[in-house]
Amino acid sequence: MLKITDLRAEIDGKEILKGLSLEVNAGEVHAIMGPNGAGKSTLGYTLGGRPGYEPTGGSAIFEGQDLLELAPHERAAAGLFLGFQYPVEIPGISNLQFVREALNSQRRARGEAPLSGGEFLKLARAQADALGMDPEMLKRPVNVGFSGGEKKRNEMVQMGIISPKLAILDETDSGLDIDALRAVGEGINRIMRAPDKAVLLITHYQRLLDYVQPDFVHILADGRIVRSGGPELALELEREGYGILAA
Amino acid sequence: MNTLLELPTPRQEEWRWADMGALKAAAATPQHATGVDPAGLFLDIEGPRLLFVDGRFEPAHSQPGPVQVTQQLATTDHPLGSLTDGEGWSLHLGPEHAALAVQIVHLGTGGESHVPARLMLDADAVASVVETYAGSGWANRLTTLCLGTGARLMRSVRLLQSDGFVSLREEAEVGEAASLVSVFLGAGGMGSRIDGSLLVNGKGGFAEMGGALLTSGSQKQEAAVVVRHDALEGTSRQLWRAVAADKSAASLAARVEVARGAQQTDGEQSLRGLLLQRSATVNLKPELEIFADDVKCAHGATVGELDKMALFYLQSRGIDHARAQALLTRAFVADAIARIGEDAVREAFAADADRWLDTAL
Repeated sequence: MLKITDLRAEIDGKEILKGLSLEVNAGEVHAIMGPNGAGKSTLGYTLGGRPGYEPTGGSAIFEGQDLLELAPHERAAAGLFLGFQYPVEIPGISNLQFVREALNSQRRARGEAPLSGGEFLKLARAQADALGMDPEMLKRPVNVGFSGGEKKRNEMVQMGIISPKLAILDETDSGLDIDALRAVGEGINRIMRAPDKAVLLITHYQRLLDYVQPDFVHILADGRIVRSGGPELALELEREGYGILAA
Repeated sequence: MNTLLELPTPRQEEWRWADMGALKAAAATPQHATGVDPAGLFLDIEGPRLLFVDGRFEPAHSQPGPVQVTQQLATTDHPLGSLTDGEGWSLHLGPEHAALAVQIVHLGTGGESHVPARLMLDADAVASVVETYAGSGWANRLTTLCLGTGARLMRSVRLLQSDGFVSLREEAEVGEAASLVSVFLGAGGMGSRIDGSLLVNGKGGFAEMGGALLTSGSQKQEAAVVVRHDALEGTSRQLWRAVAADKSAASLAARVEVARGAQQTDGEQSLRGLLLQRSATVNLKPELEIFADDVKCAHGATVGELDKMALFYLQSRGIDHARAQALLTRAFVADAIARIGEDAVREAFAADADRWLDTAL
């Protein structure tokens, strides 16, 4: 589904990703772990196309398309979902309006018919219910006045409505209490655990992986994947700390 | 015309951002067909309708109801407002009268037009006035409002002239427990000067004047509002949004004055500017002058660009760049327009703002 080869990227002329390679197949959940400053968030933003995150070499092929050649909204229409570490507050636009506009933009780009207001509302309510979010919050401005946990749940509600092929979730577990962590973890499993979908979980800690069992764990350090393994690698990291990288 | 010789100049502080050159140019444009059908400018709302073309009342296209068209003297020393002696409209609503929604359309075909207006609401009278400016030329208006005890007026004014200039002078007295909410939208290609003087002189009166000025090209629009509290427990709100594209300029000056005896005044000013390009200008001038010691006056003034992270957030969900810009800009002006009480009017104003965004972005 996604094949990243020797990816290099820089911010303000400073190289952060220094030849990163990774392959994610349909049906797989990959966790990317690593110390602060390793380039975890940069990987997510570079794949999502955030301005200022400049790819300078290598490739990222997603479902046969060169991801790095696409505008951010085209990446979304191709099936990529980027879950934000800090979801943005947007006063003046309701959640419903935002996600409906997003979903229908994607559907139009793929040549599918847009959803009607009624169809969309049903879908949005169902996803909010499934994630334990009060459907009334769908009417509120995007993330405005939401707690950290509510913002992350809202990311998952958006993901549930959009139902992407590949979700890149950047520190989705940060700032969550234990109930929110469980809800988010279950949300990821319910929405994305499918033979035709895949997840790239970017995380600093093991705790989300208690709920979302990864098939593969990769350690990112200084802009490269330095070790890959199964779920046991995350446990080893949790036990030993990132000091094992030096050994 | 002689009156033009007496226009204010930018050397006067209150007029430093005023574009009197555009006003004079608009006054000098010869009359021409505008291709605007005035019937299409009335909203689908029950109530009296008045059409003024180049400042002259058009009875054939109007159903004035209780609104009268009379000769009036401009009783103001305001330099533009005082030019409006002549034919204008007036409405006096008594308490027994049912709530009334008045619509007034001003269509200009070139040259200058001056119209005075007087609106008096007796105790507990309720009215709404929607005004629309379209066409071209210089439209100069003086509107005098007087709200008696418990009277309520919702006033919505949209400036949609394709070019030319619109200058509005509003003078209002808000009595005890009365409420005036006025919202202005500048979403055409004309220059403008919206000039307001609101006096809250009854206990517990509420006065609001705000709106959104949207400018593009080399256009200049501005609003200059003074709210004076001269009674106990008054409340005022000035919520303005300015959006400037290209080399245009949008300017907002808002002032709150609280007289010595006006204790427990609650004033709020929110002036925010959005620059769509760095070549554009937004000027903001918030002012407070408070002589009472038990008052609450919140104020905020900010100018900025669209939040880049918010733009990326929308794009990452599948919304293209231009649409994301339009959505965020619309959201920026939304709270100013949201103050309009009637759904049909608010939706029409929002649609006008959307149309402006579609062309400017």
